[in-house]
Amino acid sequence: MLTVISAGSVYLVNEARRDSKWVIHTIEVENQINTLLLEVRRAESSARGFLLTLGPDFQSDHEKAVAAIIPALDKLTRQIGDNPAQREGIEKLSAAIETRLGQFSREMNYVKQGQPDMAAALIREAAAGDSTTTINNLANAMIREEERLFRIRTSNSDRSQTLAASMTGIGSGLVVLLALISIWLVRRSAGARDDAEIRLRDANLNLEATIDERTADLREANDEIQRFAYIVSHDLRSPLVNIMGFTSELEELGKDIFRRIGELAGVPAGGPPVDVADIPLDGPDKQLSADFSEALGFIKSSIARMDRLISAILSLTREGRREFQPEKINTRDFVGTIISSVAHQAAEAQAEIHIEPLPNIVSDRLALEQIFSNLIDNAIKYLRSGVPGEIRIRGRTKLGYAIFEISDNGRGIDPKDHQRIFDLFRRAGTQDKPGQGIGLAHVRALVRRLGGTMSVSSELNAGSTFTITLPINWNASNRNADK
Amino acid sequence: MTLPVTIIMIEDDEGHARLIERNIRRSGVNNEIVSFANGTEAMRHLFGADGSGLVQKGNALLILLDLNLPDMSGIDILRQIKENKYLKASPVVVLTTTDDSQEIKRCYELGCNVYITKPVNYENFANAIRQLGLFFSVIQVPPAT
Repeated sequence: MLTVISAGSVYLVNEARRDSKWVIHTIEVENQINTLLLEVRRAESSARGFLLTLGPDFQSDHEKAVAAIIPALDKLTRQIGDNPAQREGIEKLSAAIETRLGQFSREMNYVKQGQPDMAAALIREAAAGDSTTTINNLANAMIREEERLFRIRTSNSDRSQTLAASMTGIGSGLVVLLALISIWLVRRSAGARDDAEIRLRDANLNLEATIDERTADLREANDEIQRFAYIVSHDLRSPLVNIMGFTSELEELGKDIFRRIGELAGVPAGGPPVDVADIPLDGPDKQLSADFSEALGFIKSSIARMDRLISAILSLTREGRREFQPEKINTRDFVGTIISSVAHQAAEAQAEIHIEPLPNIVSDRLALEQIFSNLIDNAIKYLRSGVPGEIRIRGRTKLGYAIFEISDNGRGIDPKDHQRIFDLFRRAGTQDKPGQGIGLAHVRALVRRLGGTMSVSSELNAGSTFTITLPINWNASNRNADK
Repeated sequence: MTLPVTIIMIEDDEGHARLIERNIRRSGVNNEIVSFANGTEAMRHLFGADGSGLVQKGNALLILLDLNLPDMSGIDILRQIKENKYLKASPVVVLTTTDDSQEIKRCYELGCNVYITKPVNYENFANAIRQLGLFFSVIQVPPAT
């Protein structure tokens, strides 16, 4: 837009300059015509003067004037070369002037030869021939033509100058307007940017506050759950003590009752009975006694199971509340100690345990001990009967993590149970070994708290491999911070 | 034993109280057992209406204390007993379900004499109480001065 305006202004200014040049040219042409006429008049008047006085001053003056006429005429011819109408005029004019010059030279010759009469006659003839008038008329016509041109060109020039001026004015106005618009736009976008910045900062602050809040909430919720689990499992124990206690009391009572029934029925008693079933009874009484002790047996075994579960939850929550202490651990010696503590079970199960070179790590010793001993225990516990066990513990490092693998050639785990075995109180496969389904849940919780991951790969009857990935350099801030 | 020792049992669970009493009796201890089901009553009995503990001056007491009471913490009762000049010489046996090591440590720091966890397994429970009875029979309970 600005380019168009500037181009337009430049064009118009050039136009105006050209127009003024033409105006000046016209004025010059007029001037030149006047000069020419003046010279012709001078020549004429000095010729007359010379004729009258014969004074050499007039003669030289006339000669000078005549000499000036031709160059002036030439100059005029050059100047108006562009105008065909004027060219015609100049041709006539120059013809007239030549005629007049011829007359002049003849006049002067007559005067010089001392024939003033002839000269005077010539002058008269010239006057009669109207050559001077012709010159005047021609010159005047030319001047009029030039004046006409002057008027046209002046108005042209005025118009183009006005145009140029208004163009420049409009251009300047536009520039100012554009500048104002730009300033406004810049200010508006700056304002918008400031607003956005403020909003962004606010959002950031809010986000941080929200995160802090959420973290605090989560921490609180976690603590709440821990407390809840602790209190619940703890308070559940209290009634359990009563149930178990009075069940045992009931058992004693049962012994007394059945002994009395036995005495009443006249069955000979053989010493103090140890169990209800040992009391000598017959027929339906024996059946009653058996039912009684069966019921009590179920109650007691259920209570024992419930107690184990509660204890497990208690120890899990207690474990969850324990602060970890990172320390440098010589993993090979550490695993060696664990293995020596299970050597008896291993020997019973005919299992051999091989330790391959293991990377040393910095971690919590107690947590690590529980992880390894649980996994090694499991490996020994779930071997295939009749197949000599072979348990391998391998280790390597990768990108700041130590990867440990505990593999066995035992009964293996069906792939559909791979997730299940990590859940609390869940077990998989043949339930022929004692257990609460807590070990792996516990191990995975510990591994996670230590900033690691664990996985299992296994097939039924093809052994299992448990893989634990732990950071080589665990420090409390990694995990305790968001606990 | 010049003075018969009175056993003060502070236990909110009636069942537990009954089981404890039965087993104490079975172990052959025939001392008087005064039982309280909440802390406030027990405190009133131990410290008297004025809260000074003067009422128990000269009495030989053995206190069985449960930590989880409905109205107050057993730990508080233990602390007050051990801070009272008339009662501090009386042996306190904490008998509770809590087996948290922190809790046990705190009780011993406050001056409890024996800490027994109530096991769910009744035989263990009975054994613990009977051993306590044995303990009662050997210790010399000094009268509250």
